[in-house]
Amino acid sequence: MALSIKEMREKIDSGSVSSEELFTESVNLAKKYQDKYNPFVTIIDKYEIDKSSDSNLSGIPYALKDNISTKGILTTASSNILKNYVPVYDATIYKKLKEAGAVLMGKTVLDELAMGGTGTTGHTGVVKNPWNSERLIGGSSAGSAASVALGIVPFAIGSDTGDSIRKPAAYGGVVGFKPTYGRISRYGLFAFASSLDHLGVFARNTYDVAMVMNVIKGHDERDMTSLPDDDKNYLDTIDNEVAGKKLFYIKEILDNSDNDKELAKVIDNFSMVIKKCESLGIEVCEESIDKDLLLALYPTYMSISCAEVTSNDANLTGIHFGVRGEGNTPEEIIKDARTKGFSELIKRRFVLGSYILQKENQEKLFLNACRIRRMVVDKINDLFKKYDGLIMPAASGIAPKFGEGTDKLSDKYLMLDNHLVIGNFGGFPSITIPSGFVDDMPLGINITGRVCEDDVVLNMAYKLENTMDYVNQVAKDGEIDV
Amino acid sequence: MDKETLKMLANKLMFTMKEEEYKTLMDEFDIILKQMDLIGNIPDIDKVEPMTYPFMLDNVSLREDKVVDELEIDEILVNSGSNLYNQVKLPKVVE
Repeated sequence: MALSIKEMREKIDSGSVSSEELFTESVNLAKKYQDKYNPFVTIIDKYEIDKSSDSNLSGIPYALKDNISTKGILTTASSNILKNYVPVYDATIYKKLKEAGAVLMGKTVLDELAMGGTGTTGHTGVVKNPWNSERLIGGSSAGSAASVALGIVPFAIGSDTGDSIRKPAAYGGVVGFKPTYGRISRYGLFAFASSLDHLGVFARNTYDVAMVMNVIKGHDERDMTSLPDDDKNYLDTIDNEVAGKKLFYIKEILDNSDNDKELAKVIDNFSMVIKKCESLGIEVCEESIDKDLLLALYPTYMSISCAEVTSNDANLTGIHFGVRGEGNTPEEIIKDARTKGFSELIKRRFVLGSYILQKENQEKLFLNACRIRRMVVDKINDLFKKYDGLIMPAASGIAPKFGEGTDKLSDKYLMLDNHLVIGNFGGFPSITIPSGFVDDMPLGINITGRVCEDDVVLNMAYKLENTMDYVNQVAKDGEIDV
Repeated sequence: MDKETLKMLANKLMFTMKEEEYKTLMDEFDIILKQMDLIGNIPDIDKVEPMTYPFMLDNVSLREDKVVDELEIDEILVNSGSNLYNQVKLPKVVE
């Protein structure tokens, strides 16, 4: 299989393959790889399609992250507290895909409640990297990234609060796009941190991402943060000339004065990508940003996201929905449900969020984080007056091995492994595309653009990916014979 | 960070943690609070207006105040662990 959406479309339209055959093949692949890589919470056997649509996605199989509401289909957010939850309404994104004739074949594993970036904390087990099962795929949209990397589906939907689409896309050698904040309705997405949450798309090429975006974007009166539709067809401009565009990278984030060997390989790859940009006529310049501001990116993200999630997830009581606890009073029942339903990691995040929101800490930890957020966004918007976008490596290296330690106070971790949060702070459209390999593991490059210029970002990414050899690649772990 | 403060916060959040989990939490807090110190390194931060959303949304307007019954009672109750007479059932609060 491992066909792109475009290829599937052509085959369905020519009659050489049916939508149902594609669905069956997708489900069979999912079952084949489930034991080894664990991408799915639920694999959907039943072929259901709205045949009234003639959209590009009609008849195309796909997967949804399991924090997106699907009426009548188990939706767990990969948490024990929701392990029995069957939604009674559809998320807008699911409704749009259904109406476009796309065929849902599975709900994918995430880090519990979308918190975490490893793909190791879902209640049904860890998701393994399809390029090497000794390594993680990253998260939180771990199963969505893995299902696309494995060639099970041509596209999958994920959510992204810090980098939860764009980092696993890099580790999985696929494309991951988070559009402008509000471009896709979040009605029916289980909230993590509302001011940072986005929905987005994984695929194996940027053209496919644009095809999906054309269907799922648009205004939704059920989401008060939803933008008016931009009334653009992203395919119309995806192949536009990019000569004359200007990108910048941030010098401080790529500092390797410690001579880190893996980082050196990442920087070599980045230099290669810059040459590819230049071959397209894109000018790439170095810019400088105050290092203290960059070092504060990750703690700022942690402060804001943990504070918001502590409040958002207060509705997980096991009373109206979720697994009910035991006890003689409502309070005992809620406490029991939350004690048994959340993993240790989630509890630690909640405690941190609550600490940040205590009256005596609010000014120093929460409001100052919100102030840094503004300073970062203002600085980037200022640079966007001169440049069409920011280009950076998506991470400091290849996907880590399970259990590999990280120095969480190092400059490398605080800046290069977490700079993608800039896209969430400012709601900027942001895409990761594959850019090469180190030790047989994929690397990704990220382009982030101006708010509401989703089409420009897709255009630049499309042109750039077509100068490299990684379009439509499928993972090649030793035991895969795709 | 002391354990009693963390226990108080867990209690407010309506869950309990095991004793050994507090050790991990305290170790993690040490790192996180050092990271948080980085927030304090920024000069003149107090002169900046806190940002709570990525950008100004100028399309936000209140919807018409119309009554809309979107879900049936049966649907609402289907995920509740216990219900009676079309209501979610809980132990008595007032004896």
